[in-house]
Amino acid sequence: MSTHKLTIEFIINGQKRKIETTPFTRLLDLIRDDLHLTGTKEGCGKGECGACTIIMNHQLVASCLVLAPQADGAEIITIEGLGEKGKLDPIQEAFIETGAVQCGFCTPGMVLAAKKLLEENPHPNIEEIKRGISGNLCRCTGYKKIIEAINLAAKRLTQQLEEEKGKEKNV
Amino acid sequence: MKRFGRGIATIMFGFGYGEGFPDYSVASIEFAEDNKILVRTAAADVGQGVLTVVVQIAAEVLKVSPEVIRIIPGDTHLTKNAGSSSATRQTFFTGNAVKNAAQALLSNIYHYASIEFRSNYAELSVKGGYVFRVDQPNNKISFWELAQKVKEKGEILRAEASFFPRTNKPNPETGRGEKVYVAYTFVTQIAEVEVDTITGNVQVLKIYTAADIGKAINPQNVEGQIEGGAMQGIGMALMEEQVLKDGVTLNANLTDYLIPTAMDMPQFETCLIEKEDSDGPFGAKGIGEPGTIATAPAIANAIFDAIGIRFYDLPITPDKILKALKEQKDKKL
Repeated sequence: MSTHKLTIEFIINGQKRKIETTPFTRLLDLIRDDLHLTGTKEGCGKGECGACTIIMNHQLVASCLVLAPQADGAEIITIEGLGEKGKLDPIQEAFIETGAVQCGFCTPGMVLAAKKLLEENPHPNIEEIKRGISGNLCRCTGYKKIIEAINLAAKRLTQQLEEEKGKEKNV
Repeated sequence: MKRFGRGIATIMFGFGYGEGFPDYSVASIEFAEDNKILVRTAAADVGQGVLTVVVQIAAEVLKVSPEVIRIIPGDTHLTKNAGSSSATRQTFFTGNAVKNAAQALLSNIYHYASIEFRSNYAELSVKGGYVFRVDQPNNKISFWELAQKVKEKGEILRAEASFFPRTNKPNPETGRGEKVYVAYTFVTQIAEVEVDTITGNVQVLKIYTAADIGKAINPQNVEGQIEGGAMQGIGMALMEEQVLKDGVTLNANLTDYLIPTAMDMPQFETCLIEKEDSDGPFGAKGIGEPGTIATAPAIANAIFDAIGIRFYDLPITPDKILKALKEQKDKKL
């Protein structure tokens, strides 16, 4: 049993990957140990803290609770998939600017939770932001600056979208 | 029914190891070939921001942009002792060590530059990585060119310094002493709460903080420390309870041991009081632990204000509140 191997295929951060794994490998371990994408963190390993948050098939999931074979055919985004080379995602920029990062351990999960929230709700109020990140624990910041960061990112993304629309109109 | 209450608590906190314990930090500064300034310090940044603070301090003393400064962090081969990131001590101790090292480096820069310029120290100044004669500002030499010239003489343009303040053991009989700790941080917090008398749930609505931190070297970081500390204080006051049985923790996981989430966050209003009255760098004092100490007593006082009941053990959980409310009611009957 323990030698049982299987091959899965999925798209991670826009890249197609084919990888050999086992039926009992956690997706978190596959991401960190096999793909060396160590931005995803392991906190509690029980789905309580949100440090291992990834976006899988447009859903926010705790990768410690997902078995690797479940990711077969999936589309996955980890923190490494945000922004472009040499350019951070507006959410990441806002986190830095507002001082929302202290030890940084919760940050990858927080940023992905924020990304998911803003995709679903581009203009969240403070209560909606709180709810959006309520599955991600932070012990350092007191959450205030994280909420400020998401609020700032929401404003910037909206502005960016309007500017793009304006350009289209001008053309 | 929801009842509103407001409570206050004030604390003082002596930071550093204190009580005569040998407590110090060593730092050094040198020039790298890629036009960077290297600060060596073993101070561990666990998110409190000490490395940001020492970059700011070195940049301030040497009058360069913070981007020019690079940190060589803790490594037993490359750095000397900076003490632990504990006791709310790093900004004070390593901040001072880096400030002293930067001042020593600046005096070395003036020393060697005065030889280059054949001038007096008082006629020199620095800005943006250059040392120049005040009467001829265009006659300047960069720190790195100067470091190269010093190297050609067989010497090195660098500096190392430590901060090693003296503290005293308190008198064992009276508990008193002169300068038992390097300095004290004072914090007052006011908590506003709403107690739900049906569920026993306490919602913290707002935390006001006034913190005497001497000087906020990085105000955003100081606020972050205070907000995070207050949040831990809310956990301590209302939810965090380690359950022990026969020496074994029964709830050593985040399913049973609850810590505050974003949903538990109150509004924060923070006032930083900058009296610059300590021996810290630019008058700064520590804020790591002080941010968390006043919160629980302020909340307990607010609960007393709301329902007239004193609680003497933490956390003040809904079941304790409901039990106490029932006792209060039975007593009145």
